[in-house]
Amino acid sequence: MNPTTRDTPAALFFRQVYAFPKTLLILGVLVLVVAGSFLPRLQKDTRAEAFMPADHPVVLYRRTIKDTFGLADPMVVAVVDRGAHGVFDPESLRLVAMLTDQIAAVPGIDPDRVTSLATENNIVGDAEGMRVEPFFDVPPTTQDEADRVRDAIMDFPLYVGNLVAADGSATVIVAELLDQGRAVDVYRDLLAIAESAPVNGEEIHVAGEMAVSGYLGTYIDSDVLRLNPVAVIIISTILFLAYRTVRGVLLPDLLLIATVVVAIGTMAGSGVPYYVITSALPVVLIAIAVADGIHILGQYYEELAHDPGARQSELVVRTMVEMWRPVTFTSITDMAGFLAIHFASFMPPMKAFGLFAAIGVGVALLFALFVIPAALMFLRPRPSSALTRRPGNDSGLQIDLFGRVMGALGRRLLSRPLWILSAGGLVVAVGVIGACRLEINEERIRNFRSTEPLYQADRALNTTLNGTSHLDIVIETDEPEALFHPAHLRRIAALQEFVESLPRVTGSTSVVDYLKQMNRAMNANRADAYALPDDEDLIAQYFLLYEATGSSDDYEEYVDYDYRLANVRVTMNSGLYTHGKVVVEAVERYIHEQFDADGIRATLSGRVTVDYHWLGQLRSGHFRSVTLALLAVWLVSAFSFRSVVAGVLSVVPVTMAVLMLYGIMGYANVWLGVGTSMFAPIAIGTGIDFSIHTVDRLTALVRSRGESLETAFAEFFPSTGRALLFNFSALFFGFGLLMTSHVPPLVRFGCLVAVGVLISFLASLTVLPALILVLRPKFLLGKRQE
Amino acid sequence: MIWALAISINAVAEPAVLPSGDEIARRVDERDEGTVVYRVLKIELIDRRGKRRTRITRGYRKDYGDEKRTILYFDRPRNVKGTALLTYDYRDPKREDDQWLYLPAMRKVRRISAADRGDYFLGTDFTYEDIKNETKGAIEDFDWKTIKEEKIEGKRHYVVDTVPINETVRKELGYGRVRRWVDAEIWMVRKAEYRDVNGNPLKSIRAFEIQEIQQIWTAHRLEAHNHKTGHRTIFTFSDIDYSTDVAADVFTRRALRRGL
Repeated sequence: MNPTTRDTPAALFFRQVYAFPKTLLILGVLVLVVAGSFLPRLQKDTRAEAFMPADHPVVLYRRTIKDTFGLADPMVVAVVDRGAHGVFDPESLRLVAMLTDQIAAVPGIDPDRVTSLATENNIVGDAEGMRVEPFFDVPPTTQDEADRVRDAIMDFPLYVGNLVAADGSATVIVAELLDQGRAVDVYRDLLAIAESAPVNGEEIHVAGEMAVSGYLGTYIDSDVLRLNPVAVIIISTILFLAYRTVRGVLLPDLLLIATVVVAIGTMAGSGVPYYVITSALPVVLIAIAVADGIHILGQYYEELAHDPGARQSELVVRTMVEMWRPVTFTSITDMAGFLAIHFASFMPPMKAFGLFAAIGVGVALLFALFVIPAALMFLRPRPSSALTRRPGNDSGLQIDLFGRVMGALGRRLLSRPLWILSAGGLVVAVGVIGACRLEINEERIRNFRSTEPLYQADRALNTTLNGTSHLDIVIETDEPEALFHPAHLRRIAALQEFVESLPRVTGSTSVVDYLKQMNRAMNANRADAYALPDDEDLIAQYFLLYEATGSSDDYEEYVDYDYRLANVRVTMNSGLYTHGKVVVEAVERYIHEQFDADGIRATLSGRVTVDYHWLGQLRSGHFRSVTLALLAVWLVSAFSFRSVVAGVLSVVPVTMAVLMLYGIMGYANVWLGVGTSMFAPIAIGTGIDFSIHTVDRLTALVRSRGESLETAFAEFFPSTGRALLFNFSALFFGFGLLMTSHVPPLVRFGCLVAVGVLISFLASLTVLPALILVLRPKFLLGKRQE
Repeated sequence: MIWALAISINAVAEPAVLPSGDEIARRVDERDEGTVVYRVLKIELIDRRGKRRTRITRGYRKDYGDEKRTILYFDRPRNVKGTALLTYDYRDPKREDDQWLYLPAMRKVRRISAADRGDYFLGTDFTYEDIKNETKGAIEDFDWKTIKEEKIEGKRHYVVDTVPINETVRKELGYGRVRRWVDAEIWMVRKAEYRDVNGNPLKSIRAFEIQEIQQIWTAHRLEAHNHKTGHRTIFTFSDIDYSTDVAADVFTRRALRRGL
């Protein structure tokens, strides 16, 4: 027994505090109950917009624009027929008509706002005037009739690419919702309609922006219900393997419940919603918080094995005197990693994740320091079969298989420190090369598994029709009805021509197209009349005529009510950030250099623009959070060991881990995107724990017990090394569990952190000890060095 | 005591036997609307953000028994002045209505195919059918059912639920059900609440400033409010004249070009 334990300030403090175990337990339970009482207030927010800062000018502008032009996020049902006639045969058209009727009858769908081949009118000119008539009243019964429908619609430029595929292989039924809040139910109803439809070679897909957010909501539910219990089972198994006692499982479980309940409870209490990525939070917290339990119990069982006759209260105090420092400092580094995300990220879900994870880890620390020991006070000493005293040996412990394996590994590795360092150097070099190939990119639809109907619908729409990504170019003039000026309209037409020349742009629509269509219809459908009229009054009268021939909201998406603002809707068949970036930057340049003039200006908006701006921050936000996290863990370790060198050494393994991860991402073509941007600070914050435990234990062995470095290592591997193995397993399997999530970004995130933890763990037990052996740092060996 | 109170309330609320739905439908249908009318119509369209389009038109309508002819000239705004619309509505539902349009900037009269009766009229919240029947609901399209009696501004009204007689009519009109408040004295629909084909609230139409002009009860202001879009329409009628007959050549294509 270490004589210093008896009267150190720490020992005195813990003895005082643990004298009131009941009070501590009651306080712990009280915290749980209060935090838990907020849980029912939790609100879900699964909108894609939730990831964008609500006060970003681009986001605010988009909201205004959506309101001005009544831009809805409709449901889209696509019918694809890859046969010879495409969708233009009697069967497919009958199917479209039938689906249109069924969709209009779905509760939550506005029956007056369902658009399809079966509802839309053809505007066509003849010698006498103009006819406005449906493409078909009743679905065609012969191929000849179907061909005529095809000819009519292909002669109507506004519909080609938007309502029907240019090659006739697909058509869409677009349905607006009465209330966006019912998107999930509506999406399910539409899927059911699609599934039960009598198809004969046609594919039916259901897509739509509103379906996405609704769908993510159901993902969350199934993830939460599945991941959390499995995480508890995995962690409990690891705990049982570590100590083979019931208390060794139940006490840390108390810690897990506390950290999760308090983190989510405070989140609910402070009105922060449950985002898509929040379902990772409990799993992450469970994996991290259990480390405190593992290390405290490990120490406790070791103390017990060393001194089986000791009183329980004394054992607990001795355990905590040894463990409070590493447990506190590792918790602080974990919190530093999460807070780095909180402060560096610009996405509200990430900020919330960082903050409440930090709170959870803090609570886990308090429970580890006060509640777990208090609970131990009520129990009688009972040794763990995994850690017993070796018979006839005063100091040695009988170690189980795990400990022996770790010990052997340690001896093997430490006989060749230079080899290890060279191998480490090689790994870093390979990592750096891979990291140079790291690509920053994102695509919304990849939030879904490629087997999901939603994913396939998106692909179908992007390959047959104009695509699902919108760029809005908002044209602003100085006064009402200024859009009747032919000069302004010609400028818009030129802008459209430019935009349509850009890669991945499939089409654009504006009032100009409507005016051309009307001009042709009023001039006996002559092809050369598909042009902008030159007469301002005629333009005003055409607009009036549009109102007379249909409902005025036909082109509401393209012009505001007093003809001052116009919207050019551009479609792209790719949602990739890098593709959008090319278009946005080119259009911004064009607007600046050629479009803007006296009395007319253009501004970009729409999904593509918003993505361009907020994902543009991804790189800086990510690297800021990584730098912050590295700096924080270095500071904490340096402070903890009162040594700058110790801080640097501790950071080596996590730095290696992050470099390697960038490398892996570079080689495996995994983008740095929204979901993956969080991995690095978390990998750093949790990975550093292995270093801290390693350096802390070695320092304790060398400085307090006066052992030589080599003896210290021999003792370190079977005991602390063993505890670290279980600590690592908890983290590795905990984060690894996220790979079974239904949300692909969480899968990638879990996988990356798990690999990061693996590398940190290996490096902490190989490269770090090798460095210490080679460098023989002063902070560790102290004065004995001289 | 409570029982007595309940019975007495019942006694007050229970009116004399209410007229049947068919009876109300007949009386509404028979109400004199004049065979010919000249009027100035101001159309105000207000979108959900409060932006407004205002048009001023003048026009005649004449009932020829088996057809109704209407001619409408735009006076304001300036850039559409002279635009005119001529419509022949045939009572025979099988015969498609005729419609011609004159755009002064084109200097041509063009025939335009008639809208479906459920289509919106000139970008307003009134459908062609609403306009044709002065919002009262055609007797042959609906089943009328009396619900209760209610007072609006101190006047007795019969509240009637009207439901399209069949699926075809329901689809054509775009209405699943219309509740109408019929003035018990003058048989005019003062208020109507429309539901769409799925039963969702669609719009409401109200009549205001009802006065007798040349012995014909006339609403001088109609307001329609679309609950789905937030869009509103205000029709204000003035210079109403039921007494001057119009010559047949008012309703011709030549007249469209010539103007009133």
